Amino acid sequence: MRLTALTTLAGVALAAMTAPSMAAWRGYISHPLGFAFAAPGDLKVEKGMYRGALAGQHDTLIYRFLDDNIEYKAVIIDVTDKANDAANLLGEAEYQFQQNKKLLMDTFGRVDRQNGRKLTIDLPNNGGRSTAAFYFVNGRIVSLQATVLPANGDYGTPEMGRFIDSITFFTIRAPEDAIELPAPPK
Amino acid sequence: MRRWILAAMGGCALAMAAIPAQAAWKSYVNRELGFSFMAPGEVKTSIGNSRTELAGPRQSIVYSSVEDNIEYKVTVWSFLQAQAEGATLLGERTYLFQNHRKLLMDTFARVEPGKDAVYGRKMVIELPDNKGRVTGAFYFNKGKLYAFEATVLPAHGDFGSPEPARFVDSLVFTLSRTEPGAVELKTPELE
Repeated sequence: MRLTALTTLAGVALAAMTAPSMAAWRGYISHPLGFAFAAPGDLKVEKGMYRGALAGQHDTLIYRFLDDNIEYKAVIIDVTDKANDAANLLGEAEYQFQQNKKLLMDTFGRVDRQNGRKLTIDLPNNGGRSTAAFYFVNGRIVSLQATVLPANGDYGTPEMGRFIDSITFFTIRAPEDAIELPAPPK
Repeated sequence: MRRWILAAMGGCALAMAAIPAQAAWKSYVNRELGFSFMAPGEVKTSIGNSRTELAGPRQSIVYSSVEDNIEYKVTVWSFLQAQAEGATLLGERTYLFQNHRKLLMDTFARVEPGKDAVYGRKMVIELPDNKGRVTGAFYFNKGKLYAFEATVLPAHGDFGSPEPARFVDSLVFTLSRTEPGAVELKTPELE
């Protein structure tokens, strides 16, 4: 009896050790940018660069998380100087996301009176699978992108949809304990 | 011999009479609204009315023709004061186009190359109750929302007809690329 109990306890401990550690999902909000979302893992703030034939070259602000070999990014591209070309700029960003990649899904994205698109692509050279949502809000292209890396391997994971569907542009809908997103590094 | 020739000629004449008359495709341009397109039949101008959640109540300019039981329609709404909302207005229009209908195709649309590119959506839907198939292309450019729709009616029957695609693909926003001799379309006054 005791041997059975000890064996069972050891087995449970072993299973717990081998299970991938998954961080809790937390809410994040940016009042200046006017949106909120949820993501797991630790936040890193980065600057990037976006280029498009229509948009030209623009700095991007990236809020990045990594958990269980899934990368979560909120990418904000300020194109306020060309805001009147909103539809074309958003269309260009969506088109570039899937260009030369295998497009698996291209559908409507509708949230909080904003109409955008949701796309899923397979990255080349078995680099993983990405699901992204694109919206144009207040002069900015706002894109949430979740990438399942090969090390995770579960390309049907619901975590991608959970991330991109967590966005809200009505900050009143953000959780009470949402963490205010920091400003980008200078 | 003569009887055979006469019979053959009679047969040809009968066949030609039975073929539906198809009008020539002509180019049309509206320089004020900034686009041109091609369509068959006689293009008529009218004013439309619509109401949506985001756009609200709004009048539109409509150019339409009917040929061989295919309806061709261009609708233009002005949103000069809401250009920064263009992306979401375009999204609303495309969503409403396919809402409660069978969506057969929904893909990227792009007119003009390079820096002049105008991005939109192309969609094909089936109308409920077997009322026909509609090919639509939608764009938001320089403060105006454009909808190009070609509807193959049941009386035509060939839902795979290339004519709707010919229509929606004839759109031009860079007017220097309009066909010479295009018919100038008038812009009606809205209330």
